[in-house]
Amino acid sequence: MTLLSVKNLSVEFPTTDGLVQAVNDVSFDINAGETLAIVGESGSGKTVTNLAIMGLIPKKTAHVSGKVLFESATGQVDLLAIDKEKLRRYRGRDIAMIFQDSMSSLHPFFTIGDQIIEAHQIHNKVDLKVSRNRAIELLELVGIQGAASRINSFPHQFSGGMRQRAMIAMALVNNPSLLIADEPTTALDVTVQAQIIKILQDLQKELKMSLILITHDMGVVAGAANRVNVMYAGRIVESAGVNDLYANPLMPYTQGLLASVPRMDRPHTARLETIPGQPPSLISLPMGCSFSPRCSQKSSISGNKCETSMPQLTNRTSEHSARCFIGESQ
Amino acid sequence: MRENFSLASTFLVPESFNREWRRNRLFLYISRRLSISLLMLLIVSFAVYVIFAFLPFDPAALTCGKNCNDPGIIEANRHRLGYDLPFFTQYFLFLKGIFFGRTFGEGAALISCPAPSLGYSFQQHACVTNLIGEALPVTLSLAVGALFMWLALGVGLGILAARFRGGLTDRLSTVFVLVGTSLPTFLTGLLLLVFVVIKWKFIPFPEGNYVPFLENPFQWIQILFLPWLTLAFAYAALYTRFVRSSVIETSNEDYIRTARAKGLTESVILGKHTLRAALAPIVTMAGLDFAGLLGGAILTESVFNLPGLGRLAIKAVTDIDLPIIVATTLLAAFIVITMNLIVDILYAFIDPRVRVA
Amino acid sequence: MARVKKSTSIAIVAVVALAVLVAGLAKMSGLGSSNKNTITYLTHSEIWTHADPNRNYTGQHIAWFGSYMHRTLTAYARAEGAAGSAVVADLATDTGRSSNGNKTWEFTLRDGATFEDGSAITCADVKYGVSRTFATDVITDGPTYAIGMLDIPSAADGSSVYKGPYATAKNDVAAYDKAVTCSEDNKTITFNLKRAVGDFNYTTTYLSFSPVPKAADDGDAYDMHPVSSGPYKIEKYKAKDEMVLVRNENWDQASDPIRKAHPDRIVVRFGMAEEVRDQLVLNDSDKNSMSLDAILPTNLPTIFDDAGSTKPEFAGRALNVYDPYVNYQAVNVKKLSCLDVRKAIFYAKDFAALIKLSGGAAFGGDQADGVIKPLMGLDYAKVTGLDEYKPSGNPEAAKKYMDAAKKSCPDVYARVTDPKRGITFDTTISDTAKKAAGIWIDAMKKNAGIVAKFNFLEPGAYYSVVLDATKQGDLSAGGWAPDWANASTVIPELFTEGGGFPLSQNWGDAAYKAFKQKSDAALVEPDRIKQGKMWAELNQYAIDQMWVIPGVFSKTQEVWGSGLGGVYFWESQGAPSFGDIFIK
Repeated sequence: MTLLSVKNLSVEFPTTDGLVQAVNDVSFDINAGETLAIVGESGSGKTVTNLAIMGLIPKKTAHVSGKVLFESATGQVDLLAIDKEKLRRYRGRDIAMIFQDSMSSLHPFFTIGDQIIEAHQIHNKVDLKVSRNRAIELLELVGIQGAASRINSFPHQFSGGMRQRAMIAMALVNNPSLLIADEPTTALDVTVQAQIIKILQDLQKELKMSLILITHDMGVVAGAANRVNVMYAGRIVESAGVNDLYANPLMPYTQGLLASVPRMDRPHTARLETIPGQPPSLISLPMGCSFSPRCSQKSSISGNKCETSMPQLTNRTSEHSARCFIGESQ
Repeated sequence: MRENFSLASTFLVPESFNREWRRNRLFLYISRRLSISLLMLLIVSFAVYVIFAFLPFDPAALTCGKNCNDPGIIEANRHRLGYDLPFFTQYFLFLKGIFFGRTFGEGAALISCPAPSLGYSFQQHACVTNLIGEALPVTLSLAVGALFMWLALGVGLGILAARFRGGLTDRLSTVFVLVGTSLPTFLTGLLLLVFVVIKWKFIPFPEGNYVPFLENPFQWIQILFLPWLTLAFAYAALYTRFVRSSVIETSNEDYIRTARAKGLTESVILGKHTLRAALAPIVTMAGLDFAGLLGGAILTESVFNLPGLGRLAIKAVTDIDLPIIVATTLLAAFIVITMNLIVDILYAFIDPRVRVA
Repeated sequence: MARVKKSTSIAIVAVVALAVLVAGLAKMSGLGSSNKNTITYLTHSEIWTHADPNRNYTGQHIAWFGSYMHRTLTAYARAEGAAGSAVVADLATDTGRSSNGNKTWEFTLRDGATFEDGSAITCADVKYGVSRTFATDVITDGPTYAIGMLDIPSAADGSSVYKGPYATAKNDVAAYDKAVTCSEDNKTITFNLKRAVGDFNYTTTYLSFSPVPKAADDGDAYDMHPVSSGPYKIEKYKAKDEMVLVRNENWDQASDPIRKAHPDRIVVRFGMAEEVRDQLVLNDSDKNSMSLDAILPTNLPTIFDDAGSTKPEFAGRALNVYDPYVNYQAVNVKKLSCLDVRKAIFYAKDFAALIKLSGGAAFGGDQADGVIKPLMGLDYAKVTGLDEYKPSGNPEAAKKYMDAAKKSCPDVYARVTDPKRGITFDTTISDTAKKAAGIWIDAMKKNAGIVAKFNFLEPGAYYSVVLDATKQGDLSAGGWAPDWANASTVIPELFTEGGGFPLSQNWGDAAYKAFKQKSDAALVEPDRIKQGKMWAELNQYAIDQMWVIPGVFSKTQEVWGSGLGGVYFWESQGAPSFGDIFIK
């Protein structure tokens, strides 16, 4: 069943230099129990997309348009259309979000326990004792030893990995049906990364939760996701099942991304592959395909089509779509 | 349902910290700081004494009154007050006096100042400690009242200006900040008195003068109201500006975004999360400003005729009444040192990242 | 739940605090609203310099305390103009009877005079009061005429052998008892003086001759609670706060011919900021109030026009009159021994610029022609020979005298025109003094070619420098008012060796001997009118010799609320006659 359906989501930031088109007509679905990875470079719009889903972009700052249809317990609701008070009820309860920098994302003055209890108390009118027990329960669930005493510690007293686990615990306190994880492992050591990803996967299975995993690390994607959306310059440029994507990347950008992952099975003296050039400024996007300035394969398309017209996101197979003129059936 | 913005949000004191651990370290910390403070006070007292010993004034000559030039009286006083003793002996006697009291002269002309004795003012015919004891409650009343007023006004206005950034409140607060920080307190006080009170008669000129709170609380309020307003005006302006930028800055922090993502209401986010972090530095600021005021709000006390430490100090300087000058300087230093300690401890309570060790 | 309770409690506290504040303010009563028949005096001072009658010295203090609290043997008549310089009887039945060539004076106390507790005032009380003057280490700052005049021998160090009523050792009490005696019935007091003093009954107008009850005397502390012999007594007296006088029920009007006791209550408010004090009176905030201090110069144009007359809106509420003071620049005649140079200095002076510093001649006063002011009446005669005077200086006249000086005293001339030496001018340091110095330096250079250098001194150190012949400069700023309405307290004090303020050092002068003889003669001259003419002659002589550079006949201004009547300037004291002020 489709849990979340994003339709034609656009986010524009008016600035003194012009209108920044951070997210440009993005549409995707996510099913219950599924893990969707959103991949892209910095500035591709992956974080903004998800902030927009949660309604965390203030109206004064940006103009958000489109539909975000969410299947809540009470039926389908367009998260962009309802008023702020109603939207607030979903946040932290049905949809939760965790962030990259756990140190700055947790309030330094309150204990971990207080913050988790608070998250529980907002959406549940129960005794503090109940919330407290729930907090301990969750901390144990994410693998923090001695949860009953660590609950009284402050964020700065935890290590990076423990902090991230605590944040996950806080996000899960109300059993959300969708968890959005914005680069949860980027700031962590590799070994810790693996632990965190494992926890997320275990919890997801156990709680039957959907997970949106935002990352730029293709290695993490391979191990964790069911489906992958690749974003570039505010648009989805490829969307596929994870195996499919890795086996058969259609869009040159995706190919470049996959090629740049260091591989264990290559000789260590081989040079790392890179994608030449820079991501475009979102104010002055080039006409035509946003990736064309950096694309090494555009010569295979006749004329200046790549530079003059924007390719659409078209289905190549039932599960695999790409936004590229290459391989497009005419 | 529209979200309601309300200032009466809770400031939730952390219900939990690792009590045992913190208590022990806190005790150690306070003990250490106290000993350092005492040492600092000793050094300050010595420095003050040295400065006054080398001023080009003859302290004995100054005990006699402006028109007095009878050398006999001057010499008698010199001996009575111990000004003919060597410097270190004088300093030691002064220190001793603080703990055990001190007597001057002998026989019929014996003057006795009980502990803590800070000397004897010949020009005002009183033990300095008594003079300070009379003046301190006045300045304390002034400072405490002003503190509450400027905190309420400054913090309140700053929060409003930040919350409704760019709106009318914000623009008005900018005007307020500019005017408040530009006008010196004596000018504000005089303008208030001359125009608002005397010429336009919006507020009546108080009939009496300062009385202690316990004696007549209503008159106490009436007399102190305008001075509070004068001081609050200047300080509130500073605090408005600071609070406004602090709240705006804190609002952009990641943990505020997290709070929002948890589904907290805007008022709880502001009242509990944002303000707690944004106002933490206020504790330090307010504490130190308060300490400065306690040393004597000279200008305000002069304009409004409040017999506080500021007036005492200024009169002592004009009259070159050395014992009082030494005592008020020391007292000011003591207040600043103490407030520093208090503020540091308070801040450690508020911000758990500040290690109290 | 804990959270709800906390926010509610904060709100409750805030509301309660606000309510208390509003309640406190609501009960605020305005100035002067509580008691209708009260005169309020406003002052910047934190306290009266002295309320003790033996320590009162300034004219204002004597006028104030003498009107409300302290009776003394004789007093000046409370009248405007010259009539106010006449001496009338106060506690005494008459203005004193002298004998023994004015060396013995006798006063009989009138009946019915009592202290505030109802006890009768006796000769012993007056004798005790006078004795306190001798305790100069405790009773400080008061006039010391009793010490200088009473027939009591001096010790080797120059102080009196009688040390006052507190000292137990080395105190010749017997000497005092001999000098001041009381009659059998304790009603007549006799003073034996060491020299003839023709106007001793003027001396007794000082409050030093007020009665003080011995039982109530606690020395230095008496200053805070003196016992009243007048129509009012102290109900409250607190520094930096206020003094409240209420009616003395034990004061009998029949026994007091000179005091009126109009208001029910008198309040003195201390510690007022100067601008606030002025604004309160100017705006008539309390109609029955008056300032005790000089008006801030910036506020003078509000009350008076450029000519110094009262503006219509302040009619009947302000006055601009001459005070008793004469300001001048004393010349050290020994150092500046050249008469021509001294004359040149006078004609080179730029009076107009200097007086502007005091707000202009309308408020500051006029160019003086000597050391005796016209309002002294009998002793004043216009000084002749100053026709060349011009307000902004007369360069031609100055040059004329300087040229003459080149021949008559070339050494002095060379010195005063030498940029490295020039003349030195002693004055106390203040902002006004610095500005005045600039004007002097310019005027002297421009008009007479004289180089003037200023020596600024701290007020506390000033007199010890200028009274020391070795330290004094060529010129020194001086000011003097007669201690009572007779130039006997001016000419001998300023110009004779041994006088109270002889800055001119003029006894080396050739004609001094004759001058001193005339002065001594005038001192003992019984015919007052003749005496006056003699003083005027001596004044003329002093100016002919330019022993001082005449300065300013200064003026003073007063302002009061519209509810007060009977305010006039009491010239003999240099202050309003406070006792005559009533509420209209």
